[in-house]
Amino acid sequence: MKTTRQGSRRALHVALLAGSCLCMAGAAQAAEPLVKACAKDGQFIIGFSQANNAEPYRQHVNDELTAAAKEVPGFTLQIADGAGNVNTQTSQVDNFITQKVDLLLISPFEAAPLTPAVKRAMDAGIPVIELDRKTVGDPGKDYTAFIGGDNYKIALEAGKYTAKTLLPEGGEAAVLEGLPSSTPAVERLNGFKDGVKENAKIQVVAEQAADWVPDKAQTAFSAMLQAHPDIKVLYASNDMMAAGALLAAKGAGKQVKIIGTDGLPGPAGGIEAVAKGDWAATFTYPTGAKEAIEMSKKILLDCATSVDTTVTVDTTAITPENAKQLAGK
Amino acid sequence: MSEQKISEASGPVAAAPAHRDPLALVVRFQSLIGLVVVAIGGIIFSPRRHGHILFLDPDNIANIVRAVSETGIIAIGMTFVIITAGIDLSVGAVLGLSSVVTASMMISGGFGLIPTILAVLVMGIVFGAIQGTISTRFRLEPFIVTLAGLQAARGLALVVSGNQYINISYGDGPGLAPPVFAILGERLFNNTVPVATIVFIVFAAIATIVLNTTRFGRYVFAVGGNERAARISGVPVSMVKISVYAITGFAAALAGIVHAGQFNFGSANDGMGYELTAIAAVVIGGTSLFGGAGSMVGTVAGTIMLGALANILQLNNITPAMQLLATAAIIVLAAVLQSLVRRREGLGR
Repeated sequence: MKTTRQGSRRALHVALLAGSCLCMAGAAQAAEPLVKACAKDGQFIIGFSQANNAEPYRQHVNDELTAAAKEVPGFTLQIADGAGNVNTQTSQVDNFITQKVDLLLISPFEAAPLTPAVKRAMDAGIPVIELDRKTVGDPGKDYTAFIGGDNYKIALEAGKYTAKTLLPEGGEAAVLEGLPSSTPAVERLNGFKDGVKENAKIQVVAEQAADWVPDKAQTAFSAMLQAHPDIKVLYASNDMMAAGALLAAKGAGKQVKIIGTDGLPGPAGGIEAVAKGDWAATFTYPTGAKEAIEMSKKILLDCATSVDTTVTVDTTAITPENAKQLAGK
Repeated sequence: MSEQKISEASGPVAAAPAHRDPLALVVRFQSLIGLVVVAIGGIIFSPRRHGHILFLDPDNIANIVRAVSETGIIAIGMTFVIITAGIDLSVGAVLGLSSVVTASMMISGGFGLIPTILAVLVMGIVFGAIQGTISTRFRLEPFIVTLAGLQAARGLALVVSGNQYINISYGDGPGLAPPVFAILGERLFNNTVPVATIVFIVFAAIATIVLNTTRFGRYVFAVGGNERAARISGVPVSMVKISVYAITGFAAALAGIVHAGQFNFGSANDGMGYELTAIAAVVIGGTSLFGGAGSMVGTVAGTIMLGALANILQLNNITPAMQLLATAAIIVLAAVLQSLVRRREGLGR
């Protein structure tokens, strides 16, 4: 019988074991490779079950994965779009199992709902690397490995940066939350609020959900500025909402220090916005794409008998000091 | 084969008898024909492994019918509403609300399985009946009333869940759901038939009997065919209308329970867009949005057809964009066929 443990909270504490911990997968096996059919020069299909292509960040993950997989001769990457729907994503994972892909990469839209599907893949002998979000259970046992950032920690960093650097004298701050009741929205909101607690003179005066999208962010932040004209810092839970908030601040003729999250590259991305001086900072949410393809290579080509079961990719703070140099990359 | 028999067997039809018009016959069975076409296409275009057709793999078939179970259950309820020339946009949101209420009653409320399921189903019925009542009592377009219902259900779901998602953990004791509930995510009969699909098929069978053999079913067709005539001939029109929205509410709640059990999870955001998938399945199934004609078997076939189409496209690694475009083409084709038949029968529009 399946038993799911209470929430991702506890899983998160496991993940907080800083950096990448090196745990041996399972019991001491007689050094069996993770995939028996592994071969130096074999042809392999990797299925990637993406949560929702409609989010720009996820499209960016797809692009990085595609680029990294192209570098490896013999790797074919297939991407399925779960379209933000746990039911669709579950059936796509099942399709990959039917196809007998050689390795499954997955960014589950939500943890608990995709847990059984991941178990089915593991039971079918397909190694599963979870990217950016986890399902329930332990890496190395319930799935092969987790690679990704840590939403709570990234937002915590943003909160601390606000407490120390942006508002050392204290003042009013506000938060734009993602889609309410979705895991990353909840984790980022809690992380930021815990981070600003370091400075008792900062009050978070307003929190509004804007569902990750810029237009709702503009509307919500306009209303916030009406109600609280003294807001000095706005933490937006993703870059898209930060862009919308900037429009609201400009419309209200206010100087607000805006912090984004994701640090997307490109002309419309967050790094550029900080470089131009529009935002105070953005905190990257690393895709882990390179690391995922690296790990796939180890498993499929190098016949690895074990891999690091948790690889936490750290966030980079994009601030006026380093933005210009990173934007030029 | 007697065509006359077919038209009797599949319930009343608003217009002239089908046996004069071969096109009408095609429309009556359009979704079954479509399902056969997609299945044949699936077999032809299926990737093969060691000469084995993946599309026909029992696991793959199970995956197809499991994936469409929730939208299928909703589409069954929606068929009743659409036959009365109504529409219900609230169903996806009610699914989300029901999944949240199911999860929170068992996890934070400490309620048992049976009281939880009963409460959620009653909630769905009441939610639907309220919408039906408002719509008939104040002569409002169901489109508007259920659009408001959609917003209300999402809002309530967020309130109930406190803006958090609710994981369902299994076991004995407080804060845990009885392990038997997880059966909704499993397969029976030697791990072949998904339980979610069994719920869908049983519900479809009951709905087919109700629609085609009971007085209530005849009333549903009568109200959709010609409301004034129905009223004059003594059909309790308001009661019928309120009932069909109660049925869709029930269906959405049932789908929400299945969702919670399949995914061990309740979230206010789940079920978004399901109403449109369900409407698409109903229309492809040959039920007319103008009311008065439709078939439950068609809806089931339409639902499975959309699932099979999505499946074969993904097995071939074809982009989701193509899937959307293919679905669009099928909906338009279904609607055009229907309109041709209506025109021939002199119903205009």
